[in-house]
Amino acid sequence: MENKEKGHLHPITQIIREIHSIFNDLGFEIADGPELENEFHNFDALNIPKDHPARDMQDTFWIKENKKAVLENNERMVLRTHTSSVQIRYLETHKPPVRIIVPGKVFRNEATDATHEAQFYQVEMLYVDKNVSLAHLKGVLETMFKKLFGDDVIVRFRPSFFSFTEPSVEVDMQWKGKWLEIGGAGLVHPNVFKSVNINPDEWKGFAFGFGLDRIAMLKFGFDDVRFLYNGDLRLINQF
Amino acid sequence: MNISHNWLQTYFDKKIPDAQKMASLFPLNSFEIEGLEDFKDEKGKIIDTVIDAKILPDRAHYALSHRGIAEEVSFMTGLSIKKKLAGELPVSLESKPIIKIENPEFCRRYIGRYVELNKDRLNIPSWLKEHLNAIGQRSINPIVDLTNYVMYDIGQPLHAFDADKIRGRIIIRAAKEGEKIVLLDGREITLTPADNVIADDEGPLVVAGAKGGKRAEISETTKRIMIESANFDPTAVRRTSTKYDIRSDSSKRFENEITQELAILGMNEICALLNEMMPGSKFGQIADEYPIKAEQTIIKFNPEYLEERLSIKIPFERAKEILESMGIKVSVYLSSGQSSIWSLTIPFERLDLKIPEDIVEEIGRIYGYDKITGILPPKVKEAVKVLPIYFLSEKIKDILVNNGFSEVSLYTLVEKGDIETAKPLAKDKAFLRKNLTDGMIACVERNSLNADLLGLQAIKIFEIGHIFSEKDGEQVHLSLGVSQIKKIKGFKSENIIDEAIKLLSIELGLVIDSKIKLLQKGNCAVWEINLGDLLKDLKVPVSYKEIAQGNNSSNRYKKFSLYPFIVRDIAIFVPESVKNEDVWQKIEQGITEAKSLDLLVRHSLFDTFKKDEKVSYAFRMIFQSMEKTLTDDEANKIMEAIYSLIKKEGWEVR
Repeated sequence: MENKEKGHLHPITQIIREIHSIFNDLGFEIADGPELENEFHNFDALNIPKDHPARDMQDTFWIKENKKAVLENNERMVLRTHTSSVQIRYLETHKPPVRIIVPGKVFRNEATDATHEAQFYQVEMLYVDKNVSLAHLKGVLETMFKKLFGDDVIVRFRPSFFSFTEPSVEVDMQWKGKWLEIGGAGLVHPNVFKSVNINPDEWKGFAFGFGLDRIAMLKFGFDDVRFLYNGDLRLINQF
Repeated sequence: MNISHNWLQTYFDKKIPDAQKMASLFPLNSFEIEGLEDFKDEKGKIIDTVIDAKILPDRAHYALSHRGIAEEVSFMTGLSIKKKLAGELPVSLESKPIIKIENPEFCRRYIGRYVELNKDRLNIPSWLKEHLNAIGQRSINPIVDLTNYVMYDIGQPLHAFDADKIRGRIIIRAAKEGEKIVLLDGREITLTPADNVIADDEGPLVVAGAKGGKRAEISETTKRIMIESANFDPTAVRRTSTKYDIRSDSSKRFENEITQELAILGMNEICALLNEMMPGSKFGQIADEYPIKAEQTIIKFNPEYLEERLSIKIPFERAKEILESMGIKVSVYLSSGQSSIWSLTIPFERLDLKIPEDIVEEIGRIYGYDKITGILPPKVKEAVKVLPIYFLSEKIKDILVNNGFSEVSLYTLVEKGDIETAKPLAKDKAFLRKNLTDGMIACVERNSLNADLLGLQAIKIFEIGHIFSEKDGEQVHLSLGVSQIKKIKGFKSENIIDEAIKLLSIELGLVIDSKIKLLQKGNCAVWEINLGDLLKDLKVPVSYKEIAQGNNSSNRYKKFSLYPFIVRDIAIFVPESVKNEDVWQKIEQGITEAKSLDLLVRHSLFDTFKKDEKVSYAFRMIFQSMEKTLTDDEANKIMEAIYSLIKKEGWEVR
């Protein structure tokens, strides 16, 4: 009976497990949080105030205000646009030093095509300690990318802007001769620490976030991100 | 933002790198480049290159202008900017606008000046028109073109009124409830006190910072203008311009906040241009209301901080040089022996520089992030704590996968649910899912259609995902979806789910409640539970060793066809001594002779039985084309080719 055959893990799960294994060895814990977030955790605590152009950087799914829906004390609710919201939740309940990775589903209100879906997976990394520099961030990223894609991978930083980090960088990876944009990172902005009552003069940190769907497409070679979410076994059973 | 290479070059005496080189330098030091495009004249000759730069909110304070970009070029290359800003043009006309700011918290500065135009000697040079055209700005009328030019040149939005259409004073104030204004595009909007206007004694003339009104519009007959160069609160401009959908390049600059100090520079530039291109024009006195003065930022900076944050030893002289090239005045604030703390006086337009971390970024990016060498953080001694929900989810995945279930991840936004999004992408994606079951049923059905193609006797899938209900809030659920395809006596889809639940209970050491939801159509069975209910009794281990970690499949994706497939079965009686591999070889030969081997996507031996001295082998074949839908005729032709070969062997097709 063919039932003895093994099933298949979703490609995203396979990537998350690989990343988890790399980071577990580096002493990072897994942290988790809600997909339906409030404005404070998704924006304000991350130094992205209301009516600020920085909010334009992410297309957001706001929740319709409705008395019947589950809303938290007059806070506007949103489908989280990044897993960074979990960083805030974790820091609210854990004292530094901190090392966490947060894999999870995030949502962006943008048109869908072969490389864009309204939902996708991200992994966020947060490291908080007494002495943290961009070199630590680079070291950790190099370790991760080399384990995922091979030893001849090169990592580079380009200047960028995120409200919750300063300096902020775009992280690129050179693989098979091409430079690929992977994600955003930087040193945690003092305002973020202040919003969770951590003294920014004493504690520093770095954070990094990137999309897993793209990594899965690079690793496994399929070309349409929508295959990840329609449950098509013609794709899933290939891996 | 579009940048004209020619326009940029006007800032320098020496030749700046060509557009291609810039497009490779900018990303490493300043900002991302989204594209490069050649700009051609009417004859089709390439006369300029336009660089599309992605200016993010921090640099938008000063770099939404060619001057700001030129500054970046000068930081990167060391070339000095030679073009000087215009000085104040002397007065040649007595009149002076009367300006009253009623809401200084909104309008921090307002400069107005009358100009009597000498249109007989109007001469807008072609280089100016080319620069504007290159960045995609169409010519409107000479005055508006010049005000646009100044905005894209130094980043100060300007507005020009037909001065003879202004009634009385210029008043900057909040709009009155219900006050109307007809905009330049003819649209009439009704304002509220949350909006701000530039008005005269009669009523609103301009929606402040965003769009001008028709009443004092510049036209062919305009003889006298009033130029406005002002500064507005970014949040208010953003709110108002978004509300009425009147965002513009002007509002964009105000929204991103520019310094009040730029306003006088903008006024001086436009006057200098008008004087040059309409010589003989007369310029009135400058009225400058400046209630909220720009504050100069001073940052105390310890240069040792650079090495702490970047782990590179940047020579202090070089760091100082980089800062000074940005117009930052560096003086020593405190000095004791070897170490000293600097006091940095920040230029007004650098609203992005407020804290020492901002300085680290400025020095780091120009010095070069490529100089950073990666180092690993110190090793951690304690064992890493296990997160119960993650352990539970992953353990369940391993148990299920080992028992033939495959994992799916479906859509959170669906057709119905309790919680609705405000601006959905589509009508059938407006709600957050309140269960996994609905999506799972559809997924099982879709996959059932491909069971033969996949070579599966049953579809067995699962999902672990979040659901959102009004009653219970957000929860993590597990769903199992099964459809038994191959008919086996007494064996139904629910049996598979039953077995799976028993297995999960045993391997997790938990009691799991089972409530099966059976669908009437087909034989699909779906089961769903809240994983949160299992957490309290779960024995959480101290490490993740129990769950499989890492080791992805090393398979590469093989493209599959989206066209329908055709199933054909064939059973053949052969002498006992003949092996099934031999029979298959013959079949394959037949398919090859029909030139259709590339259409065979799957085959399997699904039945064998002996009778007398013969044995029957039954094969299932799946045919599918990557390019089109195969017809029955085409499949039949392949079968014919197979039959004829089989007959030649003396074997019997059943």
